[in-house]
Amino acid sequence: MFDFIIKYFSFLKHIPLLPHIFDALIRLQTFVFNKKVLEHIDVIERTVLSWEKTSAGMHQYGGLQFNVNNREIGHIHSNGLVDVLLKKEIKEQLMKEGRVEDHHIFKRSGWVSLHLRTEQDKQLALELLEYSYLLKR
Amino acid sequence: MKTQKIVPALIIANVFALIIIGITKWISLYSSDAAGIFVFSDFVIVPMLMGMITAYSWRDFDLTGLEYAKYSIWNAFIAIACAYFFLDEGYICLIIVSPLLAGFVIAGAFLGKAMFRNNGNRMNVSIFSLLLLITIADSITAAPYENEVSDTMIINAPPEKVWPYVVAYEPIKEKEEYWLFRVGMPSPVQSTAEAYCEGAGRKCIFSNGYTFDEKMTVFKPAEDLTFDIVNQPRDPEIMGHIDILRGQFILKDNGDGTTTLTGNSWYRLYVMPSWYFDAWASSVTRNVHLRVMEHIKKLSEKNV
Repeated sequence: MFDFIIKYFSFLKHIPLLPHIFDALIRLQTFVFNKKVLEHIDVIERTVLSWEKTSAGMHQYGGLQFNVNNREIGHIHSNGLVDVLLKKEIKEQLMKEGRVEDHHIFKRSGWVSLHLRTEQDKQLALELLEYSYLLKR
Repeated sequence: MKTQKIVPALIIANVFALIIIGITKWISLYSSDAAGIFVFSDFVIVPMLMGMITAYSWRDFDLTGLEYAKYSIWNAFIAIACAYFFLDEGYICLIIVSPLLAGFVIAGAFLGKAMFRNNGNRMNVSIFSLLLLITIADSITAAPYENEVSDTMIINAPPEKVWPYVVAYEPIKEKEEYWLFRVGMPSPVQSTAEAYCEGAGRKCIFSNGYTFDEKMTVFKPAEDLTFDIVNQPRDPEIMGHIDILRGQFILKDNGDGTTTLTGNSWYRLYVMPSWYFDAWASSVTRNVHLRVMEHIKKLSEKNV
């Protein structure tokens, strides 16, 4: 459902508040069908905010965004899709290892995507966010 | 301890919502086009403001995102209960509106969480005021929305055999398949006609006993039956939400012993946003058509 809407209706993301409402509906769905994902997001939020000079806010296209020195570290959509900006060579290496996916929209960038499904996914998301944090600190 | 902090915010948010909906209803009474309409803001902006109010009240508590979502769903649930008891809404309407309400309450809560975390008080007041202003403007400028739903079915019988059952038919005994009919939404059961001519009265009787009183305005045997709805049933699921304006059955002779039966209905919606409620209204209308048309098909084909 998320992929279908992103693929065919992503042009609607520029309408003010619409992506946030879409994200809220996804959060409602995740709450009903996959509450564990919201628990993983909470743990990641607490951990990232414990790092020096980090802050959190709403991502412009819906989701929870983490920043350091007003630069984005990464963000999490409410279905548990984590997007992190890495160096391209790191991205290529991680993709070769099959640990992350190409970003769901920006294919030719350093952005990677990762679905939060298991405890291991959560650990990997934290590692990637920490890597991005150290780059931008 | 946590409950003592959570509950007052839920109560304040719901009292606020009842007051704002009362004001928008009161304003709409002074606009002839918008009289009694539930405006877009009642289901979109007011729930978002409810979420923001709770986020403001909870801003200093260490609530997780999961807790925000959980208490926001409670917030929406209380609002739905208030609508049932204070606004006299039917439970089918509340089933229909609940995903919309819960989604916007959650959106408001998380927007509020982000707003109040950044502590930009001036901006927060501006956003809150802007949303309130939109709500008031919306209730002044609201207008009902009209739409038509059309469905077609092939019947293996000539138009002369189909026609009598289009005008009036004996009770439908088949089990309901549409999920809203199965959870209690009234489904069509029978149609009766006072006479077989233009200007005669017709009744469409639903499973809960409610009746749509109709007047046949076009009566062309084996071709066209058009009727205006002259009296809507006083059902809380319908009253103030939707008016069925007109119905029509068109019969087309396919020349091979079959008939293409087209059912058309026109309705006016009094609940906004129309993009959400019209999807439900057209789905319900379509399933009313199909239930009636399947029945007409069965009766017509039995006698061929």
